[in-house]
Amino acid sequence: MKGIKKGAFLLAIFTLILSVALAGCGGNGNNSSGGDENQAAGGNAEISSNTADTGNAGGSGEKATITVWHAMTELTGEAMDAVVKAFEEKYPNIKVNSVYIAQQGEGKNEKLLAAIAGGNAPDVAYFDRFEVATWAAQGSLTDISGYAEASGVNADNFYPFAWEEANYEGKLYAMPTTTDARLVYYNKDHFKAAGLDPENPPSTIQELEEAAGKLTIKDGKRFKQIGFIPWYNQGWFYGWGWSFGGEFMDVEGNVTANDPKNVEALTWIANYAKKYNIEDIASFTDSQGTTTMDPFFTGQLSMQVSGPWTVPQAEKFNPDLNYGVFPMPTPTGDNYTTWSGGWATVMPKGSKNPEAAWEFMKFFSGEEGQEIFSKISGDFSINDRVNEKLGYKEHPIFKEFIKVLPVSHARPVMTQGSLYWNELANAVDLATRGEDPKALLDKVNENVTKALNQ
Amino acid sequence: MLEKKAAPMPPATQIRAKNSKKLRDDALYGWLFASPWVIGLLVFFAVPLISSLYFSFTTYSILQPGEFVGFRNYAELMSDSVFWKSFSNTIYFVVFFVPLSIFFGVALAMLLNMNVRGMSIYRTIFFLPTLVPAVAMAVLWMWLLNPGFGLVNGMLDVIGIQGPAWLGSETWSKPSLILMSLWGIGQSVVIYLAGLNDISQDYYEAGDIDGASWFHKMKSITLPLLTPVIFFNLVMGIIGAFQQFTLPYTMTGGRGTPADSMKFYVMYLYDNGFKFFKMGYASAMAWILFIIVMALTALIFYNSKKWVHYQGE
Repeated sequence: MKGIKKGAFLLAIFTLILSVALAGCGGNGNNSSGGDENQAAGGNAEISSNTADTGNAGGSGEKATITVWHAMTELTGEAMDAVVKAFEEKYPNIKVNSVYIAQQGEGKNEKLLAAIAGGNAPDVAYFDRFEVATWAAQGSLTDISGYAEASGVNADNFYPFAWEEANYEGKLYAMPTTTDARLVYYNKDHFKAAGLDPENPPSTIQELEEAAGKLTIKDGKRFKQIGFIPWYNQGWFYGWGWSFGGEFMDVEGNVTANDPKNVEALTWIANYAKKYNIEDIASFTDSQGTTTMDPFFTGQLSMQVSGPWTVPQAEKFNPDLNYGVFPMPTPTGDNYTTWSGGWATVMPKGSKNPEAAWEFMKFFSGEEGQEIFSKISGDFSINDRVNEKLGYKEHPIFKEFIKVLPVSHARPVMTQGSLYWNELANAVDLATRGEDPKALLDKVNENVTKALNQ
Repeated sequence: MLEKKAAPMPPATQIRAKNSKKLRDDALYGWLFASPWVIGLLVFFAVPLISSLYFSFTTYSILQPGEFVGFRNYAELMSDSVFWKSFSNTIYFVVFFVPLSIFFGVALAMLLNMNVRGMSIYRTIFFLPTLVPAVAMAVLWMWLLNPGFGLVNGMLDVIGIQGPAWLGSETWSKPSLILMSLWGIGQSVVIYLAGLNDISQDYYEAGDIDGASWFHKMKSITLPLLTPVIFFNLVMGIIGAFQQFTLPYTMTGGRGTPADSMKFYVMYLYDNGFKFFKMGYASAMAWILFIIVMALTALIFYNSKKWVHYQGE
């Protein structure tokens, strides 16, 4: 009798302690139960989105919530909000919880990785397209081929390179949303002031250097105005390598970072850094901000490599800026090229509402979503018709971008895309600091090849 | 009388049995009450620790279990130039930061131990920076050290010096980092202050009688008797310095620029684990770091017998 009582007492204490301990982890507890709710709602969403497909959108009273992660602020952020709003109006039974994540894309996706590994992934993530293959190979993205097939989405509505980047081993893992290209923006007033012809911008590397020299005003170690910094803003090495005639991957899929033309390009960058003294350039670039403080908009930088989004930005942050664009110069002054990246939406593994998530992805990449997003953000659509509809083909600046798109390159589709990107960015940084370009690119080649073979 | 008192007492064996039962019960209750902590330690510390040792022998990528590769990760690290670069950066930081932090920490503590009015205000001022979160501190110093319109270069301009690019300069990036890390030594200053207060006034009085100068008293009384605290801060400082991460990571956007001069050991570890899908490789790095820190700490402990003087010994 006494023994039983005692046992019960011990049990009571243990339960009490355990419940206190569990309450301590309350955050997790709540999250997981929230997840369950989502899951329950997800079941309903499946039904309701199915009815949406049959033309009864909004028929169901149950609301599904999908979480979308993105890293967009300023104009692109506004564009994202507009897309979400339009989507919610069209699909009243799906609520989109759009969450800003500071680090996503361009090789930085740690938070997404942790979320997927922890089984707490968002339903949709806005994702740098060139990394899709890397992540798909890790099994972290949901194969959406089935959904695409069922909804009749295929390659027809996308630029071929964008579609290619979204596929890995014959399966679709992402819905492309934007694309871009890179040209050199130049300040026409600076050109006039320096005695250069604003209607006849540089076309060869040598002319570019000469113009940059004339446009640069230096006072001691400080730049009052700097003509050009090859690696600034969108001056990633891919662009220069291709402009110099180099290749980054051969037809058999071998990495060719140390292509002699690439070495030539990096050598040019290294010499440029030496000529203007890298520490002084760093003083300049480290002092610069973005938006209204962007050196191109404040008139401290005369030429820079950038993408189409600079146009709406200029309109917003310095409407009086008198500028133009020209293709990235090449050593010979012909065979201009550029490269195009862009973003996509992906459905991470563990998405709780795949059906509703797919509806959102489809809407975003569809003509309606594309028109809203592209118009506000200034990013090109991956749908040619949308670009035409928005008048990009007549716009004085945008048409230059559209013109160069057919010869544009896309970054190699490979499982080590993120590593390759980071390695090249590092190589440029080290080259500007005086390390041997050839040795650096050899090393990049070695590292990426090794990672590919693992 | 005595017998009478002893009579109601139970026989010795019974007492023993009862005691041991009580002990058993106490132990049980003890474990029960400690169980949240014990479970926490096992689940959130021991398990990850042991798993990371196992992962260091695999190609684990967080998303995929990978395969067992024996010591290959360790072997590859030995020929990884970025690993060695990050290692030497970290050593540079430890070698300069730890002694400087001890020097300035002790000096500040001595200043803040003087009998001056409003001392608690000064102490608060020096402690305040430790309350600033590391990321906020990084952003604050990025502005102070901004080459174009930062306060530091602004002041240098006044005296006619065009300051360097600080964080953008290969030469100055690490000294900048050491400078801003020194700004946050309030924590150790508080410990030194406690240590100073702990030194008995008797020694100083005896010194005064013997006519010792301020310098002699510092050299022969204060410093030797402060050695236990210095010892503690040395060990903690080294452990902390080897794990330098937040400041350089925030200031360089995770890239360790310029020219990898700000790429620290733990940053590279993090990159491998969370960016390059090489958690196995990262685990191997973590274990190497653990062994280095352990060895250094053991060495300092072994060595401490020679220079650490405890009061009353």
